[in-house]
Amino acid sequence: MNSTLTTICSIAMLFTTPLLSAKTLEFTIDGIKSSKGKIYVQLFKGEGNYQSNKAYLSSIAVAKQGQITIRFNDLDVDDLATDGADANDLNNDYAIRYYHDENDSASMETNLFGMPTEGYGYSNNAKANYGPVKYKQIKFYLTTETVSNTSTIVY
Amino acid sequence: MQRRQLLKNIAGLAGVGASSLVLGNPIATLVNSSTQRKADLLVNAKQAFSSAIKTSPTLLGLQNTTGNFPPQQLIIEGKLPNDISGVLYRNGPAKFERGDQRYLHQFEGDGMINSFTFSEQSITHQGKFVQTTKFIAEQQKNKFLYSGPLSQIENSRNVSLADAVNTANINVIPVNDEIWALWESGSATAMNAKTLDTKRRVNLGENSQYGDKLKGLAFSAHPKIEANGDIWNFGLSPSGHIALYQLSSKGIVKNVGMINAHYRGKMLHDFLITHKHILIILPSLTANSVNDSSATALFKSFKYDENLPMQVLVIDKQSLTLKKQFELDAGFAFHFGNAWEETDGTIHFDASINTNVDVMDELSELMSGKLRNLDNSPHTALFTLHTNGSTTKSSIEGDSEFPRVYDHLVGQRNKKLYTLSHTESNFWRDTVCCLDTDSGEKDKFVYGEDFIAEEHIIVSNTAKEGEGYLVGTALHIPSKRTCLNIFKADSLSEGPICRAWLPYHIPLGLHGSFKAS
Repeated sequence: MNSTLTTICSIAMLFTTPLLSAKTLEFTIDGIKSSKGKIYVQLFKGEGNYQSNKAYLSSIAVAKQGQITIRFNDLDVDDLATDGADANDLNNDYAIRYYHDENDSASMETNLFGMPTEGYGYSNNAKANYGPVKYKQIKFYLTTETVSNTSTIVY
Repeated sequence: MQRRQLLKNIAGLAGVGASSLVLGNPIATLVNSSTQRKADLLVNAKQAFSSAIKTSPTLLGLQNTTGNFPPQQLIIEGKLPNDISGVLYRNGPAKFERGDQRYLHQFEGDGMINSFTFSEQSITHQGKFVQTTKFIAEQQKNKFLYSGPLSQIENSRNVSLADAVNTANINVIPVNDEIWALWESGSATAMNAKTLDTKRRVNLGENSQYGDKLKGLAFSAHPKIEANGDIWNFGLSPSGHIALYQLSSKGIVKNVGMINAHYRGKMLHDFLITHKHILIILPSLTANSVNDSSATALFKSFKYDENLPMQVLVIDKQSLTLKKQFELDAGFAFHFGNAWEETDGTIHFDASINTNVDVMDELSELMSGKLRNLDNSPHTALFTLHTNGSTTKSSIEGDSEFPRVYDHLVGQRNKKLYTLSHTESNFWRDTVCCLDTDSGEKDKFVYGEDFIAEEHIIVSNTAKEGEGYLVGTALHIPSKRTCLNIFKADSLSEGPICRAWLPYHIPLGLHGSFKAS
């Protein structure tokens, strides 16, 4: 029964998901408080890479007060047609973290307890809450040709 | 050298940082499924308190405060001494309720500063809430937005920095021409000393070599101010590290250090200095590893362990490095009065000590209108740390809390220790006491069960122990008024020489300071 449902879902996805393997991600950061310095954005592919700090792509943008959008083009996505699995079961998950390097030091400033003293944030607009954000809060899937994701920076 | 050392510490902390940032879990949250149940507890607390106060008027001091108190001259009984000039500042939790909800713990209430300004033949009071970011946001929405260290709010806003829930509600000290409202887990809040208007969240390293490295760090609520004006303090990190601060009298940081105390007890309230050392006294608290994820609020995240000795960390004030460690019997103390050191290195200090931390639960019950019995109150113990590593302890009979000594003797040898205790009242402290630590003799005044006495502090124009006055507020229950009481510091038993009345009562506070003008 479960297997039947899975098959139906998979077939449905075959019709609704283009069978392309390169996608575009548009990531918008808002609430940037000043145009000083730069915004460092890291894109991770998969939880293992996130936990071991291995970015898939990085981007550095000139900071602009208010909002900026960063594009990542030609991102790999396992072809859904090859095994017909649900997108969520494939290794297609990505995650983003970023910070506002206001003083142009090329690193995120922290206080003596290790708490950030420069603005930072995550994909899905996830926010730390008495502890780190969990990967499952920040991961997202490239299910359409162009995927948009947004975050409000926390200072 | 110190700068280099600090940088080294910072580098060494990188690992800690990554984990404590965001790992450190000072006030963990609940799983969603249980927040509804917890929110109901807040509604129940409001109903229970409102019902209890009808038959127990002594709960008056824990009533919710709805707004600021405009300037109000007090009515004076007796003769106001003409050599008291300045302002008594007091801080304490005051905002306990929003909507149909009431906090589950007194310590969660938003802080209010009350000032009593002494001028020629008059005393004027005013009270203002500290305008923390939390207070402002919750005022605007007219509801609780953040879970507290015990109360869990449904759909609580996320807390990525402790200062997001800083209630600035424990103590207040004069710094330069400002006053700083103090909390335990985050920054000080600077306020205008005259108007009590909130100015800013203090970034400790500002105007110093430390820049933003100290921004948002815990700056605890019981700084020790030496006779030379230097302000010493500590801040506990969620990782169990402890930051140590030396500030000038102007509030500018002179030196900062960090020690790894490996402390798992989460709550650390007070500390001590001698003329040479900082004493960090770790109580017998340890992490409470509960399986129930609904019990992970800060006040549920630690427990008393009777098999865990208290630790005294003796830290050199110059290098801010750990020099010695002592073990004491298991115990817990919120407050210490003073420490001093003999020329051979022998250290003496007092503590208001207990053998449990049940007071945390008792204070919670009080918020729901259940009066607590003070049989479980702490008592004064005098400790000696000998140079050979041994320790001795001498317990003083009777209960005592809120210890204070003369300002000029902080870190120096004191012989008088002023405390509060209870005599006639089973539930509240109604007695002020001066203990002669050499002879053990006590000079006491019993207010009686109609009064709830609050912390009393010494106001003196001379640097001579025994001179000047002891000043403190008390809530008079039958008339529902707060009074300010002035005693001669060397003869408490003669009773107050002057009592000044407000026409109403203000919330029971915690700690304060006197700033002479």
